[in-house]
Amino acid sequence: MAARDRFGAFADLGLTPVQRAVRHACDISQYEPNLALNLEVADLINSKKGNAPREAAFEIVYLINSRNQNVSLLALALLDICVKNCGYPFHLQISTKEFLNELVRRFPERPPMRPSRVQHRILESIEEWRQTICQTSRYKEDLGHIRDMHRLLLYKGYMFPEIRADDAAVLNPSDNLRSAEEMEEEEREAQSAKLQELIRRGTPADLQEANRLMKVMAGYDNRHKTDYRAKAAEEVAKVQQKAKILEEMLESHKPGDPIAEGDVFEELANALISAHPKIQKMCEEESDDAEAVRKLLEINDSIHRTIERYRLVKKGDVDGAARIPKGTLGTTTGVSKNANNELSLIDFDPEPSPSAGGSQQAMPAQGGNSLENDLLGLSMDDQVPSGGISLGPTIPPTNPLNQPSPAPPVQQVPVSSKPNYDILSSLSSPQPTPQAPLSIPGFSQPPQPPPQQQQAPAADPFASLISGSSRGSSPFSPTVGQTPPAMTRSGTPARPAAQPKEEDEWDFTSSLPESSSTLPSTNKVAVLDSSLRIEFVARRHPSHPRLIHIVGSFSNRTNQPIQELHFQVAVEKAYRLQLRPQSGREISALQQNGVQQEMLVDGVESGQGSSVKMRFRVSYVAGGQRKEEQGMVPPLGIS
Amino acid sequence: MGGQVSKIMGKIFGTKEMRILMLGLDAAGKTTILYKLKLTNQDVTTIPTVGFNVESVTYKNVKFNVWDVGGQDKIRPLWRHYYSGTQGLIFVVDSSDTTRMEEARSELHKIINDREMKDALLLVFANKQDINGHLSPEEVINALQLTQLKDKLWYVAPSVATEGTGIFEGLAWLSNNVKTPPQK
Repeated sequence: MAARDRFGAFADLGLTPVQRAVRHACDISQYEPNLALNLEVADLINSKKGNAPREAAFEIVYLINSRNQNVSLLALALLDICVKNCGYPFHLQISTKEFLNELVRRFPERPPMRPSRVQHRILESIEEWRQTICQTSRYKEDLGHIRDMHRLLLYKGYMFPEIRADDAAVLNPSDNLRSAEEMEEEEREAQSAKLQELIRRGTPADLQEANRLMKVMAGYDNRHKTDYRAKAAEEVAKVQQKAKILEEMLESHKPGDPIAEGDVFEELANALISAHPKIQKMCEEESDDAEAVRKLLEINDSIHRTIERYRLVKKGDVDGAARIPKGTLGTTTGVSKNANNELSLIDFDPEPSPSAGGSQQAMPAQGGNSLENDLLGLSMDDQVPSGGISLGPTIPPTNPLNQPSPAPPVQQVPVSSKPNYDILSSLSSPQPTPQAPLSIPGFSQPPQPPPQQQQAPAADPFASLISGSSRGSSPFSPTVGQTPPAMTRSGTPARPAAQPKEEDEWDFTSSLPESSSTLPSTNKVAVLDSSLRIEFVARRHPSHPRLIHIVGSFSNRTNQPIQELHFQVAVEKAYRLQLRPQSGREISALQQNGVQQEMLVDGVESGQGSSVKMRFRVSYVAGGQRKEEQGMVPPLGIS
Repeated sequence: MGGQVSKIMGKIFGTKEMRILMLGLDAAGKTTILYKLKLTNQDVTTIPTVGFNVESVTYKNVKFNVWDVGGQDKIRPLWRHYYSGTQGLIFVVDSSDTTRMEEARSELHKIINDREMKDALLLVFANKQDINGHLSPEEVINALQLTQLKDKLWYVAPSVATEGTGIFEGLAWLSNNVKTPPQK
């Protein structure tokens, strides 16, 4: 301690606590970065907020430019810690022109033959930021100067060192499940930091922006306000989606196939495992809403079962895995139903294997879909039998999306007085429980054909049984009773695609789309055939009619290993693309399918599968040379 | 170049610049004071401020950059974003609103206890002195418990914002007492 205070009070005079902490952490008496002190600085910045990120950033950059190389390196280490731990408020500061100019102040006009250690580290940092926060941050438009600086340096002839993606990955937004409160908090923090920065800059444009931002923050301007509960529900839906994929993959998994480390299986399972405690926490936060808690708990249970099954399959205990109740993902969860479901699968099913598979596939389908549609603010309730409890007002006029078809208004169900309630509570509703069409401001999702709900119970031949026990009051049981003949064999993936046509008529059998037979539901296309071969295997998602699931596999056709593989893909605006993390970045020489990339394209109507236009770009290093290739993805050739 | 010349001239002739933050409960008269300062002889009608206004006023060789931030309770949490670099705080109270004096006191103490405001001068406008039943400046001092403050330079000026009386006296006090050089 004494050593650190060597300069005594004089040196620290007039310094703020943040600046003092920065000086401490970068004190010359240290031979290497002191992680504890660095983290202390980060904590201090996070707790003080306000002007602290700016003070710290500029104090650090002042020390980076210190004459003593050791101090510079200490400061750069501290900078790294702060960027990684202080979030957006700090990112905003490092992306200011002043900071960046100061950061490269000691760079010569022409790049030196060999950059010094400090310069190397600075270049590395800028490269790291450009590849992470400039691309993945939610507020990346505020960080544009980093990219500009990168470009400028490149133009001047500076070479950026390669960075390890793993090291920088922490800067990307985490994929973890977050609750409504957490997201709201994060947003507030970002807005705070932004306001502070705008006021500090004080140019007329900034002040105008600050005024606008204040209105948003004070809650006077709600036009762009995000409904965080809806968002949280969406996040939960994503987790469910993952669980569903895993469940499907386990379903198609043959006994004896090994599950490799780092496989997609493991990735999905890890995502689920990490989401598990989060859902429990959300249960606590939603404790005032019993219905939502119940749904969340159900989801929790089903995810738990999926994880359990994964573990057993991984161990090779396929029988044990099969014993775990299969009703998954909000379809037939809940304890009583669960027992029922299991029973039905084992005892009552005349031909256990096909229809077990069928219900397996179909059930998540409707669960997920009804869920999604509810989340998007669309009501699925057009078909609620008029015998239901349709007393009250029909639909709130704010939501024209409710009626994609001219359904008689009688079929609408009374609106719940608490719209929020429904966002979460409907998460796992397996059957079209009378739900309010809820309107979420700001959602501009195209209306989705709402038939799944109607068919859902039918897809499970035992839905009537189940609903008989747990949903005795469900107004749907009669409907369900009529439909099973049409739907019992509908476990094929093509069937969900048929559903959009069945919207209004109650005739489920007659409206299969022609298109489903003309094109296969799965197809393989070669995307790129150079030293790197890329193939896409596209298929209609068995449970989501509008979803196309693509697995891209990358093979190396050269004798040299391929490294730093970076694959990017874009679709037209009408569709939504979701990429799962690439399974790796390296392909050894002549390795087939060394890397896999899963993609989900959402919003593709059945029959349109081949008209989806996609572009790709891929960069990699082979034999010490960086290569970049791009082009169009050929038609997927599926329905 | 020209900027530097004027800076040097400023140093010689003592043109000072002061960053002033004007806060207070809603409907205390902040925006009226601001525009009365700016547009001396005109009538001012204002609406509740959602957000903030900023104007610079030159008075007695001192350039005051006055930030007037809305006072509604929804906006109050955002006040803190304006603290940094503030050399003078103008706190406006409605002297006739005796029921909300306690609220004003707690807000004021919250502001001046913030570390970033510790060096700022405190000027309180006991506004609306023309309304019957108003508190006198002394009563405002007691109500706001200003005498308890330590290490703080403060002053209470009676004012009637709509007529413009008292507000320039307040500015004069600020310009006479500002010591810290304006931060860059």
